[in-house]
Amino acid sequence: MAWTTNLSTSKLAQIHAQNVLMTFQKSTLFSVEQLHFKQGDVIYLQGDNGSGKSTLMKILAGLITPTEGTVYGQGFTPKSWWQTDSLLGKAVYLHQHPYLFEGSVKYNLTYALNQLKLTASERSSRIKQAINMAQLNDLLGHHASDLSGGERQRLAIARAWIMQPKLLMLDEPISNMDKHSQRLVLAMINQLKQDGTGLLISSHQTCGLTALCQQHWHIKQKTIHTSMHVPAAEAVHQPNTTELHYGTTN
Amino acid sequence: MNEGWLALLQQAFSLLLSLDPDVWAIINISFSVSFAALLITFIPSIVLGFILAFSHFRGRWVVTNLIQTLQSIPTVVIGLLVYLLLTRQGVLGDLKWLFTQQGMILGQMLICAPVMIALSQAAFSSVDRRAWETSRTLGASWIRAVWTLCRELRVPLLLAIIAAFSRILTEVGCSMMVGGNIMNVTRNIPTAIALETSKGDFAQAIALGLVLLILALVLNFILGSLRGKALPRSH
Repeated sequence: MAWTTNLSTSKLAQIHAQNVLMTFQKSTLFSVEQLHFKQGDVIYLQGDNGSGKSTLMKILAGLITPTEGTVYGQGFTPKSWWQTDSLLGKAVYLHQHPYLFEGSVKYNLTYALNQLKLTASERSSRIKQAINMAQLNDLLGHHASDLSGGERQRLAIARAWIMQPKLLMLDEPISNMDKHSQRLVLAMINQLKQDGTGLLISSHQTCGLTALCQQHWHIKQKTIHTSMHVPAAEAVHQPNTTELHYGTTN
Repeated sequence: MNEGWLALLQQAFSLLLSLDPDVWAIINISFSVSFAALLITFIPSIVLGFILAFSHFRGRWVVTNLIQTLQSIPTVVIGLLVYLLLTRQGVLGDLKWLFTQQGMILGQMLICAPVMIALSQAAFSSVDRRAWETSRTLGASWIRAVWTLCRELRVPLLLAIIAAFSRILTEVGCSMMVGGNIMNVTRNIPTAIALETSKGDFAQAIALGLVLLILALVLNFILGSLRGKALPRSH
């Protein structure tokens, strides 16, 4: 297995996976011949529990090395010479239960900004936008561990958004969340879509989320099936349909 | 008998408060040697602890067990080893470090490192893996991600540092063998306590013992204040 990053003239940032095989304790988790995830794509990743959705996302994020196959990025801004062989930081991965660092909401929100070369005005503008979008105004001084589940998820998405990533992967972003937070998170995801960020979203309960998606990846029988047809909202059991649709129209 | 104890305590306090040059020279040597050993081993030990916790290289199990074994080796045995290394016929004999502070620092480094490596490995092994993944996926470099983990684990890592420092500051076997207990050169608190007690000069021994007790109290207060909001996490 070799991680490589080819920087071509192609303008769109994208990640390609070829002949990928992932095994876990000597049994195959999934395999796939070709996968392409690029800017502007909004992909719904479906699969049963334990089928490998999170593992696939982590592979594309460069956090896990597949057992076999090649994963490489294209169209990303070149990094320092010693970082060119890594996908890390190219496609941002958000955990189902996001990890917030010890410290304040503001510390978490601005964590990634130190890596970016931004002017002071750009920096403050991004922080303001992220705060407004996630409605974290009153929580900035709070300790991150004091936040509710929905607030944690909003902060995690805002923390990723502030980087303005070209590709973003969200693992079950609205699971176990109240309706208000679902609406806000969905509005944030919709905003990311409109900004042209490539999105790969895994979810079980997905009415509003699937409505946003244009492609469908399904991990079934240890293989990843790709199609341009996203399952209809009605096909998935969804108790919060109304709220989620409301979110997408915001 | 009680009056005798009180008189000894009084003498001990007066030795400390009157800034008795002999007592403070011993304290100074003790702290400078132990701080030097701690400073030299601190970063490499933490990094090695991180590597042992996060990587899965061949032989990791052997290295881990070896380091854990080194923790429990008596300091006098480490003193013997360093003595043999530094003696004129030894591998490091040309350095002429026997009965010097450099020799004591070398000995204390060998005592200190296994404690810090083992405790930092335990700390890194207990960290939520998502902390590392989140840091890396948000574009942090390898070094910044390790720093982030250290920040997350500041209490157990500080505990590792304090445990290692306490061990070297209070060990007597290695300092006695490698340092030789030479006044104003290599006599530190534990070797001085041993010597003064054998001579029957309990006042100085108690004064130096008090310094160690006060230090233990200060270190615990520092640890308590740094603990801050580092409460068990629910997520």
